[in-house]
Amino acid sequence: MNPFSGSAPARRRRRPLLATTAAVAALVMAATACGSSESDGDVVELRFSWWGADDRHSTMQEAIDVFEEQNPGIKVSPDYTDWGSYWDRLATSTAANDAPDIFMQEERYLREYGQRGALADLSQYGDQLDLSALDPLVAETGVLDGQTFGIPTGVNAYAIMADPQAFEEAGVEMPDDTSWTWDDYVEIANEISEATDGELAGVQSMAYNESGFQIFARQRGENLYAEDGTLAFSKETMTSWFEITERLLEGGGQPSASESVEIEAGGPDQSVLSTNQGAMAHFWTNQLGGISESSGRDIELLRYPGETEHERTGMYLKPAMFYAVSANSEHPEEAAKFVDFMLNSEDAAELTLSDLGLPSNVDMREHILGDLPPADERSAAFLEEITEDIVDGNPPPPIGAGEVVEITKRTSDDLGFGDLTPEEAAEQFVNDVSEATGSS
Amino acid sequence: MTALLHSKAGASDGPDTGARPPRTRRRAAAPRKGERRYENLAALGFLGPWFLGLALITAGPLLASLYFSFTDYNLIGEHQWVGGENYERMLTDTRLHSALKVTFVYVFVSVPLQLAMALALAMVLDRGLRGLPLYRSVYYLPSLLGGSVAVAILWRQVFGAEGLINQVLAFFGIQGEGWVSHPDYALGTLIVLNVWTFGAPMVIFLAGLRQIPAMYYEAAAVDGASPMRRFWHITVPMLTPIIFFNLVLQIINAFQTFTQAFIVSGGTGGPSDSTLFYTLYLYQRGFGAFDMGYASAMAWLLLMIIGGFTAVNFLASKFWVFYGD
Repeated sequence: MNPFSGSAPARRRRRPLLATTAAVAALVMAATACGSSESDGDVVELRFSWWGADDRHSTMQEAIDVFEEQNPGIKVSPDYTDWGSYWDRLATSTAANDAPDIFMQEERYLREYGQRGALADLSQYGDQLDLSALDPLVAETGVLDGQTFGIPTGVNAYAIMADPQAFEEAGVEMPDDTSWTWDDYVEIANEISEATDGELAGVQSMAYNESGFQIFARQRGENLYAEDGTLAFSKETMTSWFEITERLLEGGGQPSASESVEIEAGGPDQSVLSTNQGAMAHFWTNQLGGISESSGRDIELLRYPGETEHERTGMYLKPAMFYAVSANSEHPEEAAKFVDFMLNSEDAAELTLSDLGLPSNVDMREHILGDLPPADERSAAFLEEITEDIVDGNPPPPIGAGEVVEITKRTSDDLGFGDLTPEEAAEQFVNDVSEATGSS
Repeated sequence: MTALLHSKAGASDGPDTGARPPRTRRRAAAPRKGERRYENLAALGFLGPWFLGLALITAGPLLASLYFSFTDYNLIGEHQWVGGENYERMLTDTRLHSALKVTFVYVFVSVPLQLAMALALAMVLDRGLRGLPLYRSVYYLPSLLGGSVAVAILWRQVFGAEGLINQVLAFFGIQGEGWVSHPDYALGTLIVLNVWTFGAPMVIFLAGLRQIPAMYYEAAAVDGASPMRRFWHITVPMLTPIIFFNLVLQIINAFQTFTQAFIVSGGTGGPSDSTLFYTLYLYQRGFGAFDMGYASAMAWLLLMIIGGFTAVNFLASKFWVFYGD
C-alpha cells in the first residue's frame, strides 16, 4: 500500500504508464524533428510580429498578401497577439535567439532592446529602405546613440475619446475642449453617471496608463522622465493626479475599482466606449478607427482637460510604433525591403490608413488624407489641430520604462480598492518606477 | 526468442534432467534471466527518449538557472557574475514577500479542501454505484481541464461581474461582486478552481478504498461500530498511505500553480497583487522586467521551499502514516 516504496502491485500498475510515457515522448520527439524549419533555397521566409486588436490583424494580413504578390521570392508569416502578451513573447523569443525578423517596437522598449544588441541598425540598408520621406518631427525618434533601431510608423497623440450619443442620452453637454479644466472633467463625468443612474460611466479609469499622467505633469512644467532618464515630476503633482481618480470614484463618474479591472483586462475592444457603456475614455488617436467600429458610433476626439489651466500645454506627439528588424535575422535585407513596403508604398498606406498612427511618411500621409474613412479623418484632423499648440516632444524613456506599465496598473488598483491614499499611491509609484528604471 | 533459448538449454543438457535436480533449477532459471535482460533492454529503449529529454530539457536548464541565479543575466545581452546579490535582494523585496504569502495561503487552504472533497466523493463512488466508470470519468474530467488556458478563460467569464455566478445570484436578488476582479475574492476564486480539480486524487483514493478488506468493516459492524467510527478507525488509518501520497503530490502541484493565475489576472497577478503567485511573480521578473538572474534565484528558492515541505512531509509521515504491516 505504500505508493512510494515501489511494492509489487504498485510496480505492476505503473508499467503500462511508463510504456505510454515512452511512446508519447517518442512521438513528440518525432513530431518536433519533422517540424524543424526546412527553408528551401528560392523562397526567403520572414516572420513579422505585431500587437493589436482584431481589425489591425486583418489589415496587416492584407498588406502582407500584397507584399508577397509583388515579391514572389519572399514569404512573410504573420505572428500577432494583443498588447498584453506581446512583450513577454518578444522577450522570450529574443532570449531564445528566435526573434521574429521584423517586429513592432514601442518607445518604452526600444532602448531596452536596442542597447542590448537585439536590434539591427537599419541605416545600413539604405538600398532597400528609403527614409527620405519621414516626417522630421519624428524621424529621429528611433535613433539611439547614432544607430537607427526603429522606424516610426506614424504619429499619434494621447487624447480623450467621447461618445456624443452617450452625452445626449445623459442630457449632458459636450465640453468645449479648448478650455475645459480638470474640475470640469470630474464634474461632467460624475454628472453623466448620475443622470443615467449609473447606466453609463462618465469616463473609463484613466489611471491605468502613465501617458495621461505625462500630459498632466507637462501642463505643470514637469514631465515623466528627464533627458537623463530620471523622474522629472514632483510627488505633489502625482498626488493631485491620483486625487482626480479618487474624486471620480467617490462621485461615481468612473466604474468601480473591480469593474475597472475587468474593463482594463478586456483591452480596447471591451472599453466602455466600445460596449456603449460610457461616455469618455483615454486612448491614443490611432485607436479611434478601431473603437469607433466596435462601438458602432461616431466617437470624437477631445483635447485633454487643463490644457489652458496651467503654465503650458501638456499634449504631445509620439511615434506610434516602430518597425524594427532583429539583429539576428538571417535575411535583414529582405526584412528591410518589407519595412520599406510598409513605410513607403501606397498599397500599404491605403490599408493601414491611420491605424499605426498618422503615417510618418509625409507623402503617404498626403496620399491617404483625401479618402480616409470618417473616423481616421477625424483623428488626422485632430492631430493637425493640436500640433500648433504642442510645445515640445518627450525625451526617450529610460531602460525599464516597459515595467512602468505594470507598476501603473498595480498602483491604480491599490488606489481604486482603497488600499492606498492618493499620497501613498504617489509615493509607491515613485519608489517602484525609480527602482525599475535604475534612477533611485 | 524465449522458445529458442529454452530449446537450446534443453539440447545441451540432454534428456536426463530428472537425475540432477539442482541443475534443473539452474536450467529453469537461465531463460528467465535472459528474458529479464531482454526486458531491461526494452525498458531502457523506451526510457531512452525520456532520459534524453531529462538531460536536455530538464537537467541542462536546471543547472543553467543555478548559474544564472548568481549573475545579472537579462535575457538579451551579456551577463556578469554578481555573487549572492540576487539572493540578498530577496530579503528586501516586498512584492516577493506578498507573493510568498499569496502562495502559502493558496497551498494551505486549497490542498486540504481539495483532498477532503476528493475523499468524500471517492467514498460515495465506492458504494458500488451503477455506472461507476461514467461517474469516475465525469469527476476526473476537471482534473484534466483544470490547469488549461481554456478553463481559466472560462473561469474568468463565469466569475466575472456579469458572469454566470452573478446571474444566478441576481435571480435570488443578491448583488454579486466581480469575483476575479476584486482583491478580496480573486484568490478565493482560484482556490475554488483548484478544489474543483479534485478528480486526480479522487481516482487514487478510490483505488485505495478498494483495497481495504471488507472483513474489517464487517467485523466492526458486528461489534456495533457507527459509520463515523468505522470511517475514523478503519477507513482513515488504512488510507493514510494514500492520503500521504496525495498530500505530497498536491502540495508540490499547488506551489507550482501558474496558468490559472496568469490567465485570470491577465498576467498581472492583480487586482492589487492579490493573485500574485510565486511563479507568476517569477515570470514577471524574468520576462517582463528582463531580470532573469533574479528570476533564476527565485526559482531555486522555490525549489528549496518545495523540497523542504516534501522532506518535512516525509519525516512527519512516520508519526501518522500506517502501512499495515
